[in-house]
Amino acid sequence: MALGLYVQYSLAGLPNFGHVAFMAVAAYGMAILVVRFEAPLLLAAVGGLLAAVFLAIVMGAPALRLRADYLAIATVAGGEIVRYLALNLSDITGGPIGSIGMLGPGQIAIFNGGWQALLDRISGSVAALVGRSPSRDAVMATIVWASLLLLIALFHFLERSPWGRVLRGIREDEIAVVAAGKNVVAFKMQALILGAILGGLSGLLLAWEIGVFSPMDFLPTLTFYAYLILILGGVNRIWAIPLGAFLFSLLYSGTRFLNFFPLSLFDSGSRAFLRLFLVGLLLVLFMAFRPQGILGDRRQLLLEK
Amino acid sequence: MLLEASELRKSFGGVVAVDGASFEVAEGSITGLIGPNGAGKTTAFNLISGFLRADAGAVRFAGSRIERWRGDRIARAGLVRVFQTPRVLTKMTVLENVMLAAKNQLGEGLFLALAAHARVAKREREVRERALATIETLGLTHLVDAFAGTLSGGQRKLVELGRALMAEPRMILLDEPMAGVAPVLAEQLLDHIRKLRVEHGVTMLVIEHDMDVVMTISDRIIVMDEGRVIADGLPDEIQRNERVIEAYLGRLDSKAAEA
Repeated sequence: MALGLYVQYSLAGLPNFGHVAFMAVAAYGMAILVVRFEAPLLLAAVGGLLAAVFLAIVMGAPALRLRADYLAIATVAGGEIVRYLALNLSDITGGPIGSIGMLGPGQIAIFNGGWQALLDRISGSVAALVGRSPSRDAVMATIVWASLLLLIALFHFLERSPWGRVLRGIREDEIAVVAAGKNVVAFKMQALILGAILGGLSGLLLAWEIGVFSPMDFLPTLTFYAYLILILGGVNRIWAIPLGAFLFSLLYSGTRFLNFFPLSLFDSGSRAFLRLFLVGLLLVLFMAFRPQGILGDRRQLLLEK
Repeated sequence: MLLEASELRKSFGGVVAVDGASFEVAEGSITGLIGPNGAGKTTAFNLISGFLRADAGAVRFAGSRIERWRGDRIARAGLVRVFQTPRVLTKMTVLENVMLAAKNQLGEGLFLALAAHARVAKREREVRERALATIETLGLTHLVDAFAGTLSGGQRKLVELGRALMAEPRMILLDEPMAGVAPVLAEQLLDHIRKLRVEHGVTMLVIEHDMDVVMTISDRIIVMDEGRVIADGLPDEIQRNERVIEAYLGRLDSKAAEA
């Protein structure tokens, strides 16, 4: 997911704060296809991604003409529109109780049977090789990290291609790129669509992992988590994404266990709030003292426009 | 005539920036465009190059009506502009800045970048070589791998000129090429402008405030004032033209007198 944002923000300079919408649309699209039309899982996954692409085009057509700051506002709104639609179109989406309610009361909708079967098969074949059966979570994590590394390698290559050069140019100065004879809007649209596909992919993985999802799983905060990952790793460094992701999960989950002194002075309820506060504080400190991220190049950041 | 603008009009709110300006630029010429501040010269450039849309009027370039084209299409058609404050891409290297403007790079298609790797790489080598050659003629070889953001104002102007050349232009619009350039580099820049015309047959329309520069490099000079073209002729004629002296040089004199 952070990679999707990388393509949009770091590569093309499009601040998209509604990225989570692409995840939601893909996940819902996939689940609806499986549950209502009994589509095979792979086909449904492709359908979900197509839904994300469609959303990118619909959102991009008017929004890409806006300046960066207005684009950011428009995308937050776009993301929220998708979430509220999912909440309120309960006939189609299952409403607030999520994918489990898709078929109405009394029937539990299951969309990830195929995925579970796949995980079990992988787990089975690994067990046959090593003699020890890995847990489902381990298989899932391997799949996520493997596909992330593969995609990063792919985009590392794309960034260095002439296509990537034009996009990086757009990030710097759109007008200069227009003057160089490139159709800037078309390039931005491509970046948005690619980002949507990546976001959609992460939506699918999330849906398969948690099994049952609801609109509450696609809060705008999720988009900001992805930005956090980008910022921690270094905004314009593609290989910093896995590092950022690792640090983020360390921060996010690790801070749950901060019950030593002086934090033990608070009861667990207020500690939970304190945790989020600490994460925020850390981020602010990070921005203040190492704005280029861990792998970023400070000199590049300091160059004036 | 390579470029013909007729009856161009553009207003911003109540302010009329260009008020029915008409002029022509002959193929292979260096034409100066002068006029006092606020005369509408840069706006005229924006209208011609497609960065602004004219309220009325027509622009003809190499036989096509281009006044409704997008800026990138006009640039691909061979009418390339260079900005007053150079718009280099500061976080990219000089080489990348120049390579960016290459034409016919298949690899800019997303799918071809992946699918036709061999062809893209071959074209990319050609582009790279041409960019390096361009950078060499501009005397920036030692800065090829420097981030453009580290360059001086004059060097940035050279980089931008290089980018314009990379787009294989028939005509270049230069907006105050000498402004903010150190004297040594200014001399070089002038040489390049002259050489471009001789060696590549590139037509040029130049906005410039430095009268000595304009009078020496231009074949013809167009004078604008208050959005209109008030004179058009050879440098000698312009220097003797009553209206020009009144509207433009006259003002300079009174300014000089005040000072």
